[in-house]
Formats: sequence, C-alpha cells, structure tokens
Amino acid sequence: MTIIRRGTMAAAVMALGLTLAACGGSLTQDSSGKDDSDTIKLGMLTPLTGSSAAIGPHMKNGARLAVDEINAKGGIDGRKLSLTVEDEACDPKTAAAGAAKLVSSGVRISVGGYCSSATLPTLSIFEKAHIPMIIPAANSADLLSEQRRNVFLINGTGIQQAQAAAKFIKAGNSKGVALIDDNTSYSTDITKRTGDELGLLGVKVADHQSVTAGESDYSGAVNAVLDSKADFVYWTGYYQEGGLLIKQLRAAGYKGRIMVADGSVDGKLIEIAGKNNAQGVLATMTQTPQTIPGGEAWLAKYKKKFGSEPGPYSTQAYDAVRVAAEAVRAAGSTDGQDVIEALEEIDGFEIFSGPLNFTIQHTLSVGGFDILVVKDDDFVLDK
Amino acid sequence: MNDESTLRAGEKPSAYVSAVEEHTSVNTAPALKGAGISASSRSAIGGGISRFLASRWLGLGAAIAALALPLISSSTYVIQIAVDALIFVMLAVGLNIVVGYCGLLDLGYAAFFAIGAYTSGLLSTQFGWPLIATVPVVVVAAIVGGLLIGGPTLRLRSDYLAIVTLGFGEIIRITANNLDFTGGPNGLYGIPDFGDFGLRADIALYWITAVVVIAAVLFSSRLGRGRIGRAWRFVREDEDAAEAMGIHTYRVKFAAYIAGAIFGGVAGVLFAAHQTAISPPSFNFLWSALILMAVVLGGMASTPGVVVGALVISLLPELLRDAENWRYLLFGLLLIVFMIFRPQGLLPARTGEPGRRGRRAQEGAS
Repeated sequence: MTIIRRGTMAAAVMALGLTLAACGGSLTQDSSGKDDSDTIKLGMLTPLTGSSAAIGPHMKNGARLAVDEINAKGGIDGRKLSLTVEDEACDPKTAAAGAAKLVSSGVRISVGGYCSSATLPTLSIFEKAHIPMIIPAANSADLLSEQRRNVFLINGTGIQQAQAAAKFIKAGNSKGVALIDDNTSYSTDITKRTGDELGLLGVKVADHQSVTAGESDYSGAVNAVLDSKADFVYWTGYYQEGGLLIKQLRAAGYKGRIMVADGSVDGKLIEIAGKNNAQGVLATMTQTPQTIPGGEAWLAKYKKKFGSEPGPYSTQAYDAVRVAAEAVRAAGSTDGQDVIEALEEIDGFEIFSGPLNFTIQHTLSVGGFDILVVKDDDFVLDK
Repeated sequence: MNDESTLRAGEKPSAYVSAVEEHTSVNTAPALKGAGISASSRSAIGGGISRFLASRWLGLGAAIAALALPLISSSTYVIQIAVDALIFVMLAVGLNIVVGYCGLLDLGYAAFFAIGAYTSGLLSTQFGWPLIATVPVVVVAAIVGGLLIGGPTLRLRSDYLAIVTLGFGEIIRITANNLDFTGGPNGLYGIPDFGDFGLRADIALYWITAVVVIAAVLFSSRLGRGRIGRAWRFVREDEDAAEAMGIHTYRVKFAAYIAGAIFGGVAGVLFAAHQTAISPPSFNFLWSALILMAVVLGGMASTPGVVVGALVISLLPELLRDAENWRYLLFGLLLIVFMIFRPQGLLPARTGEPGRRGRRAQEGAS
C-alpha cells in the first residue's frame, strides 16, 4: 500500500468519524417520536404471496371492513384510522423486512401476523419500536415464551383448544379416550395438552397414537383404538388423513364418537370420509360468523363490501382492528406504552370469540373454541 | 445450469494457458457467442470500464459507501434490508469460491448457512453463550460439515456433484425441521445480537455486518488471485490437465469447498443475529438457487460482479414489494431479461491482467 493510498484511507476514515459525530443522534435513539398526526396508522403483515397467499386477502378485507366502519363513525377522538398492509409471504426474512417497513412508515399498532414462524422474527422489531402487536391469527406458544409485553394474541391457542376438547369429552362421560396426532408440532401440541387436561378432569386416556401424514393405510392405529376399547377418538391432524382415518375406523366397526381439531374442519374431510361415515363427527373450531348466532348481519356486510365470502381469519383481523381502536380510545393516545396498558386493562370488550379480557400471558381469557358437528355436507354448531 | 457445459466448451484452445493468463475470458466467450454478441463488442465491455470496475478505488469507494449508509438514511427499513443484502453478498462471495473459482456446482449451499445459523442460535439460546463466542464453534461446525459432505462427493464431477449437494442441502433443512432441540418447524427464537455499543441496536448490527462482509469480500477476492486461486481456475478449466501438471485436484477442490463452507457458516451467524428467530423455511432450496443466481448473474469468478449480483438478487424482490402477487413474476422476468442481454454476467471477470502477464505465467507454472 502506497503512502498516498494510506493518506486517502485516513482521510476517508476521518470524514466518516466526523459525520458520525455530527449526526450521532439518529443513530443512538429510536426513530419513533411523538405522534401528533390526525390519522392513527395501523399496520398488518399477512401472506400475500407464497404458500399461504390465499389467506392474505381474507385478513386484509376483514381489517379494512373494521377500519371503514370506525372511520364512518368519526374515527377515534376525531382521528381517522388508516391501514397499511405488507406481505409476510409466510417467510421469516420477508416478514422481518415487512415489519421494518411498517415501523419506518410510522405505524403505531400492528394488527397482523399469520404464520407463527414468520411472525417470530417480527416481535423484536416491533418491540424495539415500542409498537404493540395484536396478532389475529398466529397462535404458537413460542410467540409468548419470551414474555414480550407488546405481544397480544386474539386467536385461541392450542391450550384453549385442548381445554375445549377436554371439557366436552368430560361432559360426554367417556369411558376411555384415544388421542391421535400426525406428528407435526401443531398436532402433537394439542394431543399432549388434551391428555394433560383430561388427566386433570379424571378422564381415562386409553390410547395415544402418532400416525405419519401422507399415508393411506391407518389400520395400525385403527386396530390399536379398537383394542384399547376407547369410546371417543380425538384426531388433531389435518383433514386429508383425518378423512381416511374416520373412514377406516367406521369400516373396522368402531362405534364410538369421533372428534377432530380445527385443522380438519374442511368440507374435504366429509368428502374423503364418505358422507355417511362423517355424520355426527364432532370438531373443535374457533368461532366464525357462520357458526355464531347473529353472525349473518356481519356476513351480509362483508359480502356487500367485497363481493365474496369471508375466509379464515377475516373475523380475527376485523376484531384486531377494533381492539386496537378501543385501546387507543381508552388510552387517549397512540403511545406504545399507554396502548399496551390499555390493552391489558380491556374488560369485556365484545369480539367474535366473546367478551375480551387478556390473561397475564396476553392470550384470550375465554376459550374462543366452539364444538361443531357434521350435519349433511357441513360443519354446524353443536347445540 | 449451463455453466458446466460452458466450462467444457471453454477447454478448446488451451485450458492451461487460459487459466493462468486470464481470469475468465474463456468462460464468458462461448456464452457471448451464443447470444450473438460479437467479439469486438466484448472487448469494448472488457476494456476501460471493467478495468475501472476491478480497480481498488471502486472497492474502497463501495466499502466507504457501505459503512456510511446509516449516516445517509437510518430508517429501520433501510437498515433492515441493507443487512439482508450484505449477508447475501457474503453468501454470494462464499459460493463464488466454490462455483466461480473452482467450477464446482453446489446446489446445496444454504446448508452451510443453516449450519452456521443453527449452531450459533443453539449455543446462544440454549447455553446462554454470547453470540461472538459462537463464531469459532460455527467455523468448526462448518468445516466438519464441509468435510463430511465434501469428502465423498468431491470425488464426483459435474452433474453428480450438483445432485449430491442438492440432497445435502435438503437433508440439513429436513433434519432441523424434525429434531426437537432445533425447535422443529418453528425453529429457534430469542437469539441475542452482538450488543448495541451505545448505538441503536439495528445500526450497531449493521456496522458489524458491514465490517465482516467487507473483510469477507476482500479475503475472497485476494484468495482468488493467489496461487490457490490460479489452481482453482485451472481445475475449473480442465481437471485432468491440472492433475497432469501436478495439482492435487482433490485437495484443491476440498480447499475451495471448505472455504465456501466457512463463509456460509459465518453468514449464518450474522443472519441469526439479524433475524433473532430462525426456522427451516429460511434455508430451503430456493435460497441455494438464489445465491447461485447471484453468482451467475453478477459474473462468475468476478468479485465486483458477484457483489453487484447479490445486491440485485436480494434487493430486487424488496423493491418490487408493492407488486404483491406479481412480485416474483416480475422478479423472474427481470432475471431472464438480464440473462438475455448480459449472459456473461453484469460485471464479468476481467480479461487478462495487463502488465503482469509475464510474471503471472511464471508463477502459474511453478
């Protein structure tokens, strides 16, 4: 390296140092300042591309409906809501970049989050910017295990699904329960927790099977269930295997009741199992307007506005926006800390899953799970 | 993946002479002919502009620009995607050693990225190690990974190597997806960063990343110019001739593979610190393909080219974010357009080394 080059390098480093000293302020402080604009910016991360792209528009429309309704009533303290939607693509890297984009655009509250693994890296980005997150769909227990104060879940969790299932099984005076999962984390989480809940309630778990997703012959599991003399089967995997399992259980002469978890609540389950076999199959499912008494009015509003049926998580996204607005109203500001406190203090605010109170872990205090039953070609509310 | 055929076609004149005397002109010539670009326009491309592009001043300027970025814009979004882009640059220069210099088609490079990210993630979250302390372990883990996969597979050539590395990449990802201690499908989360040094945390990480990546780019570029770099190019041009000239081709290929693995592993540490949460979908085949794309798009074996290629590949999808569902369609179309008009890469490796030719030839013969 020549003398000249060394001189240039030194000059460059010095210039860098000087600039650094000059504008050090923005480098050491957080960019989030006081918010005195007349709009309250909400941000939503949802999959618009990638494997779960179909979900994005449902969530976006649900949130849009709530924003427009609140604005039509004059907004919150005269301030209108605005909604910015960014793609999370169900991919952690895309989600993190999207979260950073929302933070930079001045969003005050996040009302998005669908895929749990993509939502995880966004937690710290929102937390550093003091932005409360009301997560409508993602519900992995991992989201809560770091106990970040800005994270609130308004979808039911695996624990709540397990509680709803165990409560129902107990009420049916079952003699023995067979739990069957498909070895994915979602599914094993529910069976494990259901087993624990049943133990607490004093119901006997006669059998616990794990099957491999994608197979077509489940006679091993079916025979084990028959041998265990269980009179109640709870399947926690997805509809593809669930349908086959129901079909094969009935074919083998199983007479007891069958219940499936929310991953199996799909018309395809009835198709695969065969309409006759599927009749009377029960399901644990988050509440949807289709199953809520009085949900028709909401359905009509949604259809009128967007010309399509609401899909999964339209209602949760709708509720997330309403909860955010309620918290801002109660806090009287959009300051992250104030909003978090307001969220923690929400008491009985009506959302689709019932009156809202957050637990100390920032999850729903009341279930949010309904028991559905197959009647003809559909899942309907079990009365 | 036609680079293998390109390389083969390039053997014709004298692979030995071209490997020693030139960087990669032989490599790009057939591709140029294929696209109907005349030799004269090629020499125009390879003239003054490319000499400027390969000069140290450009590199120094780029390094200063990278370090000064937070002073120009410190928005969270800019810093976030800039760190993503820098990590991608590191991966691309790492893969460039394997594919660009040595001509080993590696389709599972994301595996080393995953090994690095998971090793540092596990040590920091499960055992409470500070992230910086995980780096030596990551390097060792990447070397072990490279030895395990490189040992048997580097005896294979061309398509077979590509298939085995592809499999290896998938094995690592699926293993991480199925093990409990790697967190299964949800992966690891709560990974700490290197500390904030009194700065905003993301900006501190940006500067650490920038320094590491600049060092990596320099290192990879110098590596390519040294004795081992010439040996790599020779192996790439004609393995048999290289062997006949006394180069231990297996060992030389191994060196390239291990060097690439270390780059990937260290990039994984930066990725883990940056994302704070890592999960198997981040290390899928698409990643390996995109990194390879950056190398080919930028210009194989050309450090400035690969850096530019990596920046394009990592920033383009972000710039197209507003296109929503059209995003990857537009991304794909733009890549096709690039490859039609610049088949040799955006900044192909410089042809020849004026003024040093004699000395280089002597060194190469030693």
